[in-house]
Amino acid sequence: MSKDNVESDYSKYGEYVVSDHLELTLPKTIIKIDRIGEHVFSYFRQDTEGKIIEKMIPATSNELKIELAPIRPLNHPARRTGYVFLKFDKEIYLSEGDAASIFVHCPIEIGIFLINGTHRESLDWVTCNPLNSRFGLYGSPDTGTLCKYAEVTLATDLNDSISYVEGVMKILIENTLNTGQTVSKVIFPITDNTIYYEGDKSIVDGIKVTMKKRAVVSIADVETQPLETDWISSPTWEDSTANTSMEMGLE
Amino acid sequence: MTPIEFLQGLSEMQIIGGLTLLTLLLGGIIMAVGIIIAKIAKLIFYKYYAPTLPQDTAKNLSKLIYFGIIIIAFLAFTSTTGLDLSGFLVAGGIFAVVIGFATQSVVSNLISGIFLMIEKPAKHGDTLEIPDMGISGTLLDIGTFSSRLRKFDGTVIRIPNEKFFTANIRSLTSSTVRRAEAMVGIAYKDDIESAILAIKNEIAATMPYILRVPEPEFRVEELGDSSVNIQVLVWHPRDDWSQAQPILLTTIKRALDNSGIEIPFPQRVIWDAKD
Repeated sequence: MSKDNVESDYSKYGEYVVSDHLELTLPKTIIKIDRIGEHVFSYFRQDTEGKIIEKMIPATSNELKIELAPIRPLNHPARRTGYVFLKFDKEIYLSEGDAASIFVHCPIEIGIFLINGTHRESLDWVTCNPLNSRFGLYGSPDTGTLCKYAEVTLATDLNDSISYVEGVMKILIENTLNTGQTVSKVIFPITDNTIYYEGDKSIVDGIKVTMKKRAVVSIADVETQPLETDWISSPTWEDSTANTSMEMGLE
Repeated sequence: MTPIEFLQGLSEMQIIGGLTLLTLLLGGIIMAVGIIIAKIAKLIFYKYYAPTLPQDTAKNLSKLIYFGIIIIAFLAFTSTTGLDLSGFLVAGGIFAVVIGFATQSVVSNLISGIFLMIEKPAKHGDTLEIPDMGISGTLLDIGTFSSRLRKFDGTVIRIPNEKFFTANIRSLTSSTVRRAEAMVGIAYKDDIESAILAIKNEIAATMPYILRVPEPEFRVEELGDSSVNIQVLVWHPRDDWSQAQPILLTTIKRALDNSGIEIPFPQRVIWDAKD
């Protein structure tokens, strides 16, 4: 999905109060919440693949507060991993001792949360681009790491996100080796990366990739780099006990 | 009669050798206390330590603790009663030979069970296939004498440890990913590259559990009697076999149907000699 075919009248990220009826529209996705009785609401969602989800939501009052927010791309088609494998459309070449800072599009999913005081409870999630939501393996079948795989393009800056489909992530790459290196992919645990939103745009905490020598082996050490932004931090429900760093082998 | 006089009376009542009713009573109390302690120790172990251990190990360790305490209590019982077991040893030697032959398979299963616990070819919850026995299922536990598997039809099968230990065991869940395979034949008149592209696109679009890396592999396996046979190999997360293998052929057929590529029936061209 390109930036051009995302219409601007889709629902924005943020908090909504439902007293009687609320309809949220996302690309090829419709979400409807209706009050059907005293302190009872119904939830309906039809996604891009035509799948329909319906739920009943008992509430403590006749108002329901929800939040629509971008979340990490780990749930479609099923949650199997906390790692993300981003394959760049163009390779990046770094000479020895060089460093570069790039922006890439990082896939996102959209979460629907119930607001209960200061606490957010996950109600549902959707993906607006299921075709780019697939798995990939980094390493060998027996010892490799299963990742969510996405082919991504370079972005111009943090405001270049593709609404509802891809956020922007800053990647700092450092080559401390004494030979030039080509980078075509990055694999990292995304469970430590917070997603932020404003309107229909989203950004993801960055990562720092350091290519270095450990004993006789060349590795790429990947670390999370938290963003400093005044955008709203997105809630999330995934398990955050996963690894905090990742080491890739250099090919 | 006072309790002391009652106990003195018991100590004077000999059963056999130096064994009196009093020593027998004391022995009984020791055994009872031993059993209670064993049960409490087993309970404490299950509550505080077992949750941190693999299920099989926890089960076997608890048995070891339980029977260990019982044996210690029995030894205390024999030393308290002054029971002379040397006579049993002579008879036991002959008896052991008889029992040895009779319980050969039991001992064999026990020893195999111990080796299984040491080697750990599989753990609780693993999905296994034992080709020699034609059994597939999820491993429930490895016990002292036998192991139990839940087959995919929901039934539980018990396998003696000796057979389990010596059998070939194929683990279906030890790798991160697994491969699903299918074979399809296309007509000779159809373009192989077009068929492969159609299948590849259909898999990418409709099978979300199929890995993009490594990407689906296509091998022209055979120029068959009626068709060009193509093998399709795709990888999927190990727990999602049901989202790959059973629907792979359906997806392939749909891809070929949509592209107008023929899957030919077996055919024979018969030439009449007169022609």
